[in-house]
Order: sequence, then C-alpha cells, then structure tokens
Amino acid sequence: MHREQIDNVVKQISQVILGKERQIRLSVACLLARGHLLIEDIPGVGKTTLAHTLAAVLGLQFQRIQFTSDLLPADILGVSIYDRDSGKFRFHPGPIFSQVILADEVNRATPKTQSALLEAMEEHQVTAEGETRPLPEPFFVIATQNPSNQIGTFPLPESQLDRFLMRIELGYPDAGAERALLQGADRRDLLPKLTPALQPAELAAVQTAVRAVHVSSALLDYLQALVDYSRKSPDYVSGLSPRAALALLAAARAWALMEGRNQVLPEDLQAIVPGVVGHRLFVARDSTRINGAAVSENLIEAVPIP
Amino acid sequence: MNAANERLHPGQVGWLLFALALVTLPHVERLPWWVTLLAVTLLIWRIYITWHALHMPPKWLLFVIAGGTIGGIYLHYGRLLGRDSGVTLLVVMLALKLLEMAALRDAMVLVFLCYFLVITNFLYSQTIPTALYLLLVVWVITATLIGFQFRQQQPGFRYQFRSAGMLLLQSVPLMLVLFVLFPRVSGPLWGMPQDALSGTTGLSDEMSPGSVSKLLTSDAVALRATFRSEVPRANQLYWRGPVMWDFDGYTWTASRLGNQLQREVQRSGNPIEYTVTVEPHSRRWLFALDLPARAPAPARLTGDFQILSPAPVSRRTRYDMVSHANWRDNAELQSFEKQRALALPARSNPRSAALAERMRKGVADDRAYAAAVLAMFSNQNFYYTTTPPLLGTNPVDEFLFSTKAGFCEHYASAFAVLMRAGGVPARVVTGYQGGEVNYVGAYLTVRQADAHAWTEVWFTNEGWVRVDPTAAVSPNRVESGIAAAAPQSESLPRQVRGEYEWLQRARMTWDSATNSWNQLVLEYTQERQFQLMERAGIDNATWQKLATIMFMLATAVTLVIGLIMLYRVRAQRPDPLVHAYNRFCAKLARHGVTRHPSEGPVAFSRRAGATRPDLRDLIETISAFYVQLRYGSSASATGAKELMAKVNAFPSA
Amino acid sequence: MLRPLGAPYRKVRGYFERWLFQLHGAQSGSIVLVQRRIFILPSRYGIMYIIALMLMLTGSINYNLSLGFVLTFLLGALGVNSILHTFRNLARLKISPGRVEPVFCGEHAHFTLVFDNPGTLVRYSVGLTRDGKHEIYIDVAANQSATARVAIPAERRGVLRPGRVTVFTRFPLGLCYAWAYADLDIRCTVYPRIEVATPPLPVPEAHHGNGIAHGSGQEDFAGLRSYSPGDSPRHIAWKAAARGQGLMTKQFSGRADTELWLDWLATPAALGTEARLSRLTRWVIDAHAASISFGLRIPGIALQPAPGDAQRERCLEALAMFDAGRTP
Repeated sequence: MHREQIDNVVKQISQVILGKERQIRLSVACLLARGHLLIEDIPGVGKTTLAHTLAAVLGLQFQRIQFTSDLLPADILGVSIYDRDSGKFRFHPGPIFSQVILADEVNRATPKTQSALLEAMEEHQVTAEGETRPLPEPFFVIATQNPSNQIGTFPLPESQLDRFLMRIELGYPDAGAERALLQGADRRDLLPKLTPALQPAELAAVQTAVRAVHVSSALLDYLQALVDYSRKSPDYVSGLSPRAALALLAAARAWALMEGRNQVLPEDLQAIVPGVVGHRLFVARDSTRINGAAVSENLIEAVPIP
Repeated sequence: MNAANERLHPGQVGWLLFALALVTLPHVERLPWWVTLLAVTLLIWRIYITWHALHMPPKWLLFVIAGGTIGGIYLHYGRLLGRDSGVTLLVVMLALKLLEMAALRDAMVLVFLCYFLVITNFLYSQTIPTALYLLLVVWVITATLIGFQFRQQQPGFRYQFRSAGMLLLQSVPLMLVLFVLFPRVSGPLWGMPQDALSGTTGLSDEMSPGSVSKLLTSDAVALRATFRSEVPRANQLYWRGPVMWDFDGYTWTASRLGNQLQREVQRSGNPIEYTVTVEPHSRRWLFALDLPARAPAPARLTGDFQILSPAPVSRRTRYDMVSHANWRDNAELQSFEKQRALALPARSNPRSAALAERMRKGVADDRAYAAAVLAMFSNQNFYYTTTPPLLGTNPVDEFLFSTKAGFCEHYASAFAVLMRAGGVPARVVTGYQGGEVNYVGAYLTVRQADAHAWTEVWFTNEGWVRVDPTAAVSPNRVESGIAAAAPQSESLPRQVRGEYEWLQRARMTWDSATNSWNQLVLEYTQERQFQLMERAGIDNATWQKLATIMFMLATAVTLVIGLIMLYRVRAQRPDPLVHAYNRFCAKLARHGVTRHPSEGPVAFSRRAGATRPDLRDLIETISAFYVQLRYGSSASATGAKELMAKVNAFPSA
Repeated sequence: MLRPLGAPYRKVRGYFERWLFQLHGAQSGSIVLVQRRIFILPSRYGIMYIIALMLMLTGSINYNLSLGFVLTFLLGALGVNSILHTFRNLARLKISPGRVEPVFCGEHAHFTLVFDNPGTLVRYSVGLTRDGKHEIYIDVAANQSATARVAIPAERRGVLRPGRVTVFTRFPLGLCYAWAYADLDIRCTVYPRIEVATPPLPVPEAHHGNGIAHGSGQEDFAGLRSYSPGDSPRHIAWKAAARGQGLMTKQFSGRADTELWLDWLATPAALGTEARLSRLTRWVIDAHAASISFGLRIPGIALQPAPGDAQRERCLEALAMFDAGRTP
C-alpha cells in the first residue's frame, strides 16, 4: 500500500527532474525518515527545482529562504515588533514556521545565521526572546549548497553537516535526459501543474510505517561492522558517530519500505550509505577529498556482511 | 619498559613468599633451629619491606649474613656439601635472595629455586602424602609464575590458579610417557653424600639388652612380602636377619664378613615362594623366611644363612625368594665354628655359668638340657614385657636371678649363654617374627615393631636347630604377634594393637595403597621398565628403543594436546543459518557465481539467477527463505535445518 | 662481530632473515598471525628453566628418586606445554592498521594497531616493540579487539612509517618467547616543525594571485559606507550597528575584500627551506586560530584562501609534503 503511494511520489518527481531517479528516491527516503536533506552541487543542475517539486508532490506548506551574506537570524526565525495598539511586543513568525523550508544556497549566509537554522532543525522549535515556539509537523529542511571552493561562501562546518540526514549530489544529466530537458517545457512551469500525491495524514502514516520496519539483529551486526570499520580504518579522518549510525538505520528503514519490504536487508543499508555517509566521512591523507560516492563504495566494499 | 626490569606488585611478592613458605615447610623439622629462625626473620623482613614499600637492605649486610650462616652450617654439620647441609644452604640462600629481589628477573630465579627445593624434599620422603603436598606446592608455584606474566590487567589469583591447574593437567599425559619410557640408569652417577641415607631405622649388627626393644615403638615398615600361595602360619614366619656369634658378656655381635662356608642342607616339604620388598635400612642384610633356599643376585648366602647384599640396602629392594620351612643341617660343625659357638667371656655372668653346669649335669643329653632350660623359663615366673628393667654389667645373671622380666632379646641372650655354658654350641639370630596380613592387598606387612631375636643351637646329628625361648615364656608372641604378648598398659604403635574394624580396614587400605605406590612408582626401575616393554610385545628392549618410542609417543601426545588447545583460538562457529547460507554460496561458486563478501543476499541471488537462468527459481527460493529467516521478524527454531536441507538438495556443480 | 666482514655478514644475514621470517616489506590491509608467521624460542628464563630441569634430572638419577623423575618430567611437560600456550597466545590474532593523526615534527607520532581476537580465549600480555627496548603490552579480550598505540618520535617532516613492528608474547609462563613481525602499511603525515618564535602574520594583500607580498598601507581603514548585500560580514561595523546606526561596512583602501596569503616568498630566503616551512606552519596555525580565511602559496602549489579546519589540514599537508628539490 505504502509502496504504491511512494512510487507515485517518485514517478511524479521524475517527470520534472529527468534522469535522476536514484537521487529522487534517496531524497524521498530522507524525508520519509524525518531527516533533513542537503543538496550540494554547482548552480544550474536543478537543486532548487528538486526541492520545489518534493514539497509540491508531498502537498506540504512550502517556504523558500534565499540565503545571502546579509541574512540575519531574525530574518529566518521571526521578530517581535512593538504593537502600538496593544502596547505589547507581538511575535511575527519568520519563514521557518512552515512545513517545508527550502534553504537556498545555505552557505552564502554567515555562520551565525546558519546556526540559527540548524538549531531550529535539530530541536524542531524556535526560541526567540525567551519564548519557545514549536515548529509545525512535519518539518523538513531542504538546503542547497554550492561547492565550497567558490568565493564568498561560508561552507557549513563538518559538525553542522551532521544535522542533515542525507546529502545528495545531482550532477549533470546524461545525454538523453538533457535532450529531453532541452526539448521539453520549462521545468518551473511544470511545478504548478503538480498535484500532491500524498495527503498529510497519509504522509504521517507512511512515516509511522517507516518506524515499524523490522530490523533484525543480523542487520544491526552489519550496521555495527560498518560503523566500526569507519572508526578503525586509517582511510578516514574520523569515524562515523553514533548519530550517523542512527541516521543510517532510519534511512535504511525508509528505503526498505520504499522497496516494499517490511524488514531491512543489507542491500537497503548499502543503498542509502552514499547519501548518509558522504558528508560525514572524509578520506584521510588526501588533500583533495574523494567525493561522497567513492567514500561510501570504499566502505561497502571493505566490510563483509556478517 | 623492558619486562625484566619491571618492578613487582605486592600481590606477586605475596604469592611468591607463600609458595616459598610452603616448599620450605617440610624441611623445617630437619633444619637447625637457628636457620629456621633466620629464614622466618628474613621472610618477615621482606613482608615488612613490601608492605611499607621500603628500600632493600644494603648488599654488604646480606653478604655478612650469608657468610655468617655458611660458617654456622659448617660448624653444625661438619661439612657443606652433604645432603642436609646442602638443603640448609639452599634454604638460607633462598631466604637471602628474597631480600635482594626487586625486579621480575630476581623473582623468576626464585621461582626456579622453588621448583628445585621441591625435589630436595623427595630426598627425605617419597610417600603419598608428601607427593600430594608437593604437587599442591607445585601448583602454587606455577600459579605464582603465571602471575608474573601479566603486564596489563591482573585477572586475579582465581584465574592464575585455574590456568596453572589446566597447564599442569595438560602436562600429565606427557609426564606419564616420559616417566614410563625415559631410559632409567641404575645406580648413582657419582658418590652420594655420606649422610644421604641417615635416619633409616632397622636392625643393627649388635644386640645388647634393650637394643631390639627400641624398635618396638616404630610403626615403620621393615618389609612387605607377597606369597605365591598361602601365607604360612604365624609361627613359621621367622624373617632371618643378622646372625650373632660373638658375645662379650653384654653385647652380641654379628660378624661383618659373614661365614663363607657352604653348608649341606636337606630341605623338605613344599617350598614357599614369595616376593619381598625390603625398605632401605643402610645395612647389608636381605631378609628371608627360615630357611632361604638361595640368595637373589647379586647378594649371596652365607654359611649361617644370612643373605648379604654387596652394598648397604640404600633403596627399597625387591627380590623373589624361595624358602623351606622344614630343613635339616647335615654338615659337620667345623672346629673353629664350634669354638666360636661355645665361646663365653671369662668372669662374666658367673652365676649363669654355675647354673648351666648344674643343670647340664642333671640331664642326659644336649636336647634334654635345652628342654630343661626352656622349662625353667616357662615354669619359673619369668615375665614378658616390652619395658624391662635396666640391666648392669652381668645382664644375664641379673635377668635370670633377679629381674626375670624381659623381652625376646633377654631370653635369647640368656638362653644362648646357658647353652654355651652347658657346652652346647649356640648362636643368636635376629630378624622379624610374624607380620600382619593385609587382606586388602593380599600381602604381609612386617614392621620394625615385629623385630625379634631367637637362638639356634647345635645338636649332634641334627645340626643347627632353631629354638625360640620367647615362645616358652609367651607363646602368644609367636602365635599372634607382639600385641597379644605385651601387656595392654605398655606402649606399642597403634598399628600393632587391635582396633575397630573400620579403622583397621582403612589402615590396611592405606598400607595397600602405599605398597602399590612403592611397587609401581617408587620402585619403577630399569628392570621393571624392560619387563613392561616385554609385556607390551617389545622384546630385547634397549635404552635406544625406549628412547625412540618415548620420542614418538611424546610427539604424538604433544600434537594431540596442541590440536585440542588451538581449537579455542579458532573463530567461533558461525550461526547455523549463516553456515547453511555459506554452503549455498560455496555451491554456487562451483557453478561459477562467486559472492563478494559485501554482496547482499538479494543482490547476489539476482546476479546468480541472471548468470544461471536454469537454476534461477531455486536460487531465488533459497535466497528468499534465508533472507526471511535472517532478516525477517519471524523467528523459527527449525529454520536453519530446513535451509540446510534445501541447500543440500541444491544441485552440485 | 668480525669487523672486516661486517658489511657482507650483515647482507647475508639480511637475506637469511628475509627468507626465514618471510619479510616481504610492508603489507597493506591487515595481517592474520597464522602459524608460519609465528616464531618461538625459549626465553632467557626458559634456558634457566631447562638448566634447572637438567640439574633435577641428574639429581633424580643419582639419588634414584622416583618422585624426582615425576617432578622433573611434569615440569618438562609443563615447559613443552608452555610452548603451545605461548604460541596460542598469538595465534590467529588479526592486526590491522588503525587511525593515525598527523603530528608536527618533534612530536611523537602515535600509530594505532588494532588487534582482533576471533577466538574465545583472552590473550593476555601481548607485547609490541619496534626497537626491542621499549615494549608496550595489551590484553585482547575474547571475541573483541584492542588497540595498541606505538609512539615514534617524528624527527623528519613528510611521511613517517613505523616499519617492522615485532608482536611478541611470553605468556603464560615466561619460558618461551613467541614473536611475529608485522610490517603494516601505515603512514603518518609529519607536518613541519612549528617555529618557536611567533612572527606576526603577513598582511592581507589586495590582489590575489600575483605572488608578490605587498607592503603596508593596503589595509588602511578608509571609512564606512552603507551596507550592501554581498559584503563580507567580517567587514560590517558591528559596533556601529549596535549603536543603532544601521548596518555599515568598513572600507579599506584597496580592495574591499582582502585575503590573507601565506606566501613562501614572504619568508626570508636566508632561513633555509626547513625554517621557512616552519614559519609558514606557524602562520597557518595562527591564522586558523584567529578564524581568518587564508591561502597558502609555496613553490608549485597554491591553495585558495578558505577558513576552517579543512583548510588548515590541507595547508599543513602541503607543507609536510613540500619537496624543495622537485619545485622549479
């Protein structure tokens, strides 16, 4: 049942974003696992479109925040303004108070603003002027980021990257997809035509189902072997954190459900490793870091399934 | 930090001190009191140093103590390189080494010295309790040694003892192989220290009033005998020992050389065949029942039927014997023999001489005379006691006319003197009489308490005849043993007295165990080694053959133990499910599809199915079944077996 | 040794050892101590033990002590057993290279070796040594792994490798010495020695990319202008903003956004290569500590300015690997 719904979501997105089914599935899995998503690539490969499409297809309330170097924390979280009529400060919620946030070019903002967003992501609530306000449910942040070697950016520090469940890279489309893109209509025009494939209640049900996917101890053995290897191997700068292990598990559950299974298999774990591990594990001894895919392939290759 | 210089933990020192104390403990009774005191003082000093983490005493002080002690030992024993003095030196050096022990290196040396000290205990005693005690000590020492090897974590003494126990147990099979097959060399490699054998008890070559009764309080075993057929009656159990010809008025003496003459003896009746194991007694006699038919090589039979071994009996000796209870000495008494058998010192025991003259005149012949003397012993109120009054310079006179209380030696001596004074050749024979049948082990145990003295007199036409005057006074002594003869109030070894049945049974079991121990372990000689080989079908065993077999067996035993041990370092057996799946993968590998270790089961089944479309359905069924069992939520107890069955049914390449 | 024959002797001995101990240079991945990798000989104490046993055997023969034989043979068997036990203490251990943190020259590099024990037997007192003098010991619990850290002084900049490490044990009785050689492919990056003195950071330059250090005057404060999007927040006059004057951007003469370049050419050539690298190292550390965006320019390599830990590591690594002879 859930599988058909999810397949439908994936199919709809694929009509807009061409030739990127794997990335689409990963990002859907990320959202189903209640994680935040970071899309990293050079400008113009469709990062923002993907975020838009995701929100539209899931039928969620959507806000886009363009991050710039002058963006202040209050611009995201909201401000209290003195209300002359009531004689009191009144809180004007910022754009973060919506279900899906597209944080575009998150690395353009100052670290201060970035951390305001990341704290809100982590805690699912906003504390402003001594008052704590909960964020809506569900709450997704899809952040896009330009590659860090561009001038005038503040790449997210590694510790902050950990807050995103997955990081995906879109990459250039292949020739066929690009031709279709060139021949077809403007992608942005397609967006309003999208109809939500899931009702909010259905989404909540799918998310609950994800949590109920069975994880056997044999799979946990494998997960632990992977994490353990990353910690002991000299190939990596630092090993995967317990939070990363939890992220792997949550994402693998979502993937299994998307595959129509009620139990997690090693294959599910292997499928989501590139998304989850890429921004958490860095290859040591090289001044230019191998991209995420190679790190995860390395990891999967090196650890036998127990 | 280098391991050898590593400092010791107080716990390690503690165990070492404990092991040292245990190994020295049996020596304490043999050490001079001041050495014990010194050793204990040094031990306490070392404990104090460890406890308060103090510095070691200066070297010169230790040298002074060592020098003084060596001097003291020399004064005490009169030598340094004897058995007792050597052991004492070793104990002292060990105690001194304690105060020099700072690093692990010293402690290891001490442990080896401990092992060495264990073996010195066997110089004194090799009984079962000693063996058990020292085995325990070896266990403690080994546990201490293991304790020295921990560099990180100290898993505690329980672990040490368990490992040490395991190590020793695993060493037993190899030890048995070596013990049984190591070619034994008989005889000492070099001269033994002179004091090596002191301290053994037994009959002496002299007999004066009171000398035999000294043995009465000893429950030490003199010999054990196993009879081929039934054990002879008690009054035939005369174990012949030293024969004494010479009397100086107080003491009877056996000649050291023995009589060289060969005598003609007529033996009749069934021969008694038996095997004797005599305990070491540092003299040359081997005991046999009256009258031995021959001597076991290399001993010889003397003219007065003593069996003399060429060297003092310094170790437990076993020999087969044949004796005849009925015999008749046909040979003539040589004149010098007669002279010796009649000699009495002038002016000693004059009243006895007078009595003898008077009594001899009253009877017809020598035999009647002997009977009259025996009758005198039984008719007058002569009294048998193991605690006779002390006698003076004319002991026979005093015994016959005043005290009239005595023990076998008194009767034998008095009888022989009376015989000689009456012109009848007589001699005293000492040895053992009787013995206790151990019905557990079916053998006879003769103890020192069974020591006895009797006489032999020469009758014309009859030759030497055994006369036991004690039997005239106390027939019980001969019929039922010393316990029946001696009054209840007199002290005798517990073994000799009657007792509760269960106690007796326990004692006999113990003695039987001791006997087996002696026979199987302690008396395992080259001869028995070759016998064993013969029984195992190896004829003409030489030491080369033994060594070859030993090496082969030892290698085999070590290999077996090694294989058993190494089993534990192997990786654990995988889960039965995984085991079955691995077999499946191995089968597929022979079909040409090899699973990469990091390849998931579903991905692999898809790949394998694509490679071998003919088997695709089977592959997918088995894979799906495995996935469901291993990663699914429904646990199944029989799943692994079912999977194994499916895998076994899968076609082989 | 034979002095004139020293060199050939060493050579022959080298061949012999390579053949006997199967030394084939560094091995990538992990090493499992299988039977042919483990060598075993009696230790010094083992020889003492053998001598003690010989004495005991002679004593037993001489005094005909049956129990002496029993004890001697029991202890002899114990010795043989201890060979097996000592061997077993190493057998099937898996040694894998662990993580190595880069160090600065003059510090100690800590190489981590991971010991995996696949069996159900605890391996006590497994020792590790490089030079035979310094020994470290670890215990490896059953079915678990333990890590040992070998500290090696990093005396030269560049890549440091631990070389052949001897894994040994004397457990349980100390009578035997079992050992295996582990030559794992582990490297530690050794950054140049940090200069002790703290030279001031070079001045930020106006035009990046032209390789010439500029004199002073380029960073003169020129005044404030109203903020426009895209300005670096580092140049915002936060104090002015706090006073309620609105966002103002500090303006400097020259470019608005200057960058700090740590340049090889900014160091005096008279210092010599290593000292110059030391100074650059010092600068990288200081610039990173001050959270400044910085770039590094050394002959043959130019790293674009960036802030953060990754930049620091990149720069330090480049300095560590700098090869003076190779550069133009």
